[in-house]
Amino acid sequence: MSLERRMLTRELKLNVARPGEIFKPMWFLILVVSMLPLALAPDSDLLSEIGSAMIWVATLLALLLNTEHLFQSDFSDGVLEQWLFLNRPLAWLVGLKLIAHWLFHVLPLILITPIAGIMLSVPTDVLWALLVTLVIATPALTCFSGLGAALTLGSSRSGILGVLVMMPLFVPIVILAAGVLIRAMDGSDTLPLLALLGAFSVVAATVVPIAVSAAIRLNIGGSN
Amino acid sequence: MIFEPIDIEISKLSCERDDRLLFKNLSMTLNPGQILRVAGPNGAGKTTLLRTIAGLFDIQTGTIRMNQLPLKECLEQILYIGHKPQVTKDLTVLDNLKFLTGSDDDHLKRALSDVGLKGYHDSLVKELSQGQGRRCALARLWCVKAPIWILDEPYTALDVEMVKTLDTRITWHSAAGGICLFTTHQPPQSLKYTTLELDHVT
Repeated sequence: MSLERRMLTRELKLNVARPGEIFKPMWFLILVVSMLPLALAPDSDLLSEIGSAMIWVATLLALLLNTEHLFQSDFSDGVLEQWLFLNRPLAWLVGLKLIAHWLFHVLPLILITPIAGIMLSVPTDVLWALLVTLVIATPALTCFSGLGAALTLGSSRSGILGVLVMMPLFVPIVILAAGVLIRAMDGSDTLPLLALLGAFSVVAATVVPIAVSAAIRLNIGGSN
Repeated sequence: MIFEPIDIEISKLSCERDDRLLFKNLSMTLNPGQILRVAGPNGAGKTTLLRTIAGLFDIQTGTIRMNQLPLKECLEQILYIGHKPQVTKDLTVLDNLKFLTGSDDDHLKRALSDVGLKGYHDSLVKELSQGQGRRCALARLWCVKAPIWILDEPYTALDVEMVKTLDTRITWHSAAGGICLFTTHQPPQSLKYTTLELDHVT
């Protein structure tokens, strides 16, 4: 079996063994969306207007919630340092890990956003725009939060620090996504902004694994 | 099985961590078949030395070459087992080894029966005792083809029987022309080795 298949099989089995890691962020998203109408006046016009933006932000936070410990358990078990002996560039292995993370953790989150959209009576065409922006933007978000997780591996209370470090990189993505949603509500052309978002993801997917592998090396070099 | 001849040449290696000098101008050559025990009091830099030779720490001054090649190009020749568990608790014994070694099931099951974990292949590592978990990590010595073994405290949590088994395995490895570096505080009885004593340099 090739190393790539071994790596993905391992990720699959790990996720089967730890289903809570997949469901926790989904519960978080549903909770936020079900609390919102209770906290606001139950005015369906207002909800459908801000609903898509709320779902987007809730999904972003849920994604951050499950990415902050991306490398932590492998690092403390000493399995991460074994990656260095696997006869493949570390950045390639990191890329595989990020892909697996997106497939097993982020994709399920995206798949339940239509339910959240219906709960907030978001119009169907805006819902579609929401789904498309999430699919296009989440690879970049996953990469950036993975980088935050890798940078703060060595420190004990790493969670929020990694998110804070990466916050500036999330901002342009959120602004672009909001632009897409506003245009979708107006019924105007969303393609240029979607293309920009896609460019963000492509650049992130090519550059960030290299940065993550450097951060991992740095943290392995500083620990026993 | 006989390994291709391999040697490790360490010259003028020095290391400083947190303003403490751990070793200075360390030079030595390790030849095929050599078993080296790195000894010294706690905090003397044994783990640091092993991790430097394994390429996990950047070399501060000095050079390490394997068969005249820089260390970074030879990492796949190394099997490193540190004192962290090296196994994932939520996976089964077999899945752990399959990921790390890439060997097939039959081979791995044979390795597991060699380390006394016969019948445990479907158990999760978190269900094993500490010593059994250690045996699981060490089972890699029975399936990997790397000629250089770097073992940090391999005898921790092992019973008398397993210590003997491990000694036999290291002797076999050395007879096949492999190199083994290890640290331990209890000198193994049934193993012929040379000792490198690391003292505090102040």
